[in-house]
Amino acid sequence: MLEIRGLRKTFGAGKVALDGVSFAVPAGQMFGFVGANGAGKTTTMRIVMGVLQADEGEVIWNGRALTFAERRTFGYMPEERGLYQKMRVGEQIDYFGRLHGLGAGAVGKARDALIGRLGLTERVNDTVESLSLGNQQRVQLAVALIHDPELLILDEPFSGLDPIAVDVLAEVLHERARGGVPVIFSSHQLELVERLCDAVGIVSAGRMVASGTVEELRDAEGRRLRVVVRDPKSGWADGLPGELSKDGDRDVLTVVGGDDQAVLRRAVEAGHVESFGVERPTLVEIFREAVA
Amino acid sequence: MSGLLMVAGREIRTQVRTRAFVISLLVSALLTGGIAFAPKWFDGPDEYNLGRVGGQELAIQALAPDAKITWKTYPDEGAATTAVLDGDVDVAVVDSKRVLTNGEIDDELGLLLQSANREAQIGAAGVTVTPLEMRSVGADTRYESARQGIATVVVLLLFFMIMSSVMVVAMGVVEEKGSRIVEILLISIRPWQLLGGKIFGLGVVGFINLTAVVAAGLVGAYLSGFATDFPPGMAGIVVSAVAWWILGYAFFAALAGSLASLVSRQEEVGNVLQPMMLLFLISYGVSFFASASPDHPVAEILSFVPPFSSMIMPVRVAASEVAVWEVLLSGGLMVVAVAATLMVGGRVYERAVLRTGRRLKVSEVLRTK
Repeated sequence: MLEIRGLRKTFGAGKVALDGVSFAVPAGQMFGFVGANGAGKTTTMRIVMGVLQADEGEVIWNGRALTFAERRTFGYMPEERGLYQKMRVGEQIDYFGRLHGLGAGAVGKARDALIGRLGLTERVNDTVESLSLGNQQRVQLAVALIHDPELLILDEPFSGLDPIAVDVLAEVLHERARGGVPVIFSSHQLELVERLCDAVGIVSAGRMVASGTVEELRDAEGRRLRVVVRDPKSGWADGLPGELSKDGDRDVLTVVGGDDQAVLRRAVEAGHVESFGVERPTLVEIFREAVA
Repeated sequence: MSGLLMVAGREIRTQVRTRAFVISLLVSALLTGGIAFAPKWFDGPDEYNLGRVGGQELAIQALAPDAKITWKTYPDEGAATTAVLDGDVDVAVVDSKRVLTNGEIDDELGLLLQSANREAQIGAAGVTVTPLEMRSVGADTRYESARQGIATVVVLLLFFMIMSSVMVVAMGVVEEKGSRIVEILLISIRPWQLLGGKIFGLGVVGFINLTAVVAAGLVGAYLSGFATDFPPGMAGIVVSAVAWWILGYAFFAALAGSLASLVSRQEEVGNVLQPMMLLFLISYGVSFFASASPDHPVAEILSFVPPFSSMIMPVRVAASEVAVWEVLLSGGLMVVAVAATLMVGGRVYERAVLRTGRRLKVSEVLRTK
């Protein structure tokens, strides 16, 4: 289990990047890290990986402060991809595996399994620079996974991938999570995060503004009613809570909380009720609400 | 240590396998071998083709034992004149009285002909001339010009071989920093292993280059016969040049690696290396000067001051006789300087290499943790 406690980081010229970020990712959890550009996702990840030093706060791994030796077992995919452009794919993956302490035999086996899984078998002897960006990203992922990491931190792993590659990557990450590895990744593709993740953390301006499972976040948002009335009497919704919008000859009323039966009675009196139901907010809506 | 060796192994494999490495190795080896061989082509023994009409052949072979002399006879002066004008012979001697030349005569050939003629006439008069005996009462200067030539070669060799390897270190550091590979590398290894492995690995590559060039030069020198002019202690000169290359490379590579870690883009490498280049060019300039004046006080003093000593001392060793204690003292000081540079440079590298973006200053890097 990885715990982040009260991380603070200020860059030169007083720019506050992190203002007390805390969250925890237990074994086997897929944690989606979302937030606007510059919110602090990358900075947090870089601190966990030791690329940056926090001004304050701790990174706790299995109950104790994270050490270099433990971090060596982590897999990391940085936001700005880094590979040796002129090195061949297979050799590159091997090299990082060896640096992580794998023997020659183990590294060969792990590499063959990974490149097969990621569809790189035919490119194994090509130099990285000759690959498409999508394939380079697969190599980057292979580099992060080669030593069978005990924790995965991936900064925007899905950006720039085609839908097939997205599915492959999602499946690979799920496998690792099922194997008990905490997986943390950031993404701007909120539908994807909603689909894949067990838990989500939303950062805004260096603070964790919401975190928990998607269900918990939805519950926290409150129940939301949506009523569609055709040819309503004008002014029927006066005095009711919520937002009224027009869609042709229909009125759409969205109400958070409140007395649903009272709303229904007023709608029936007002006109022809086409739909009436409790809506579950999407992650996009939760996100907008949280960072607003 | 194993992390360092893995990094070194990658550097060696990557470099040795490139076509550029193989080509530059071949070209530099051929070039050095060729230069060592060159004296044979440009500076071979004199060769004279002489024509004769009547009279006796002048005994100039005895006066110039190394020269290759060929005589041709012509029936009359007209034929000899044509031969001179056509360049079939350099000059033609007519009846042991006149010499036909095409324009000015070669000075040395003129002297030889006059002397031979004089001896022939004196000999004909029954007088025997005893040649003067030459005896040097000064220092043995037989090898002076050879030593200077070798010292010049040592200067150029150290200059190119140190600089080329050092630049590869600097570029490699920036490649890893700029592309953020370093962020992944430093999860599994320490900064000193990464920088140390790079310096060590590229040092091995540079050493292979140096050995090939030195070997090619020596083989060329032996094949061309130039090696017979080698001064005594040539092996010592070669060993010292190679040993000083190692020290000089280690010093400048550590300096270049740490300075390069301050920038994130290849375009900035030249700029950030300027202080190092200044030190290096001073070393080069003074060592060039020392190859001609190895006993000048400036050369003598700076041959003890690191890092200048790394280029000046081997040049002094080649150009003149240097006491063993002087070499050992200078070497010891250089080793200390290398160790200090590795330590301070390693610290700069460790703190700067993850801070991508704008160019950093050494002072701010050392101040902050």
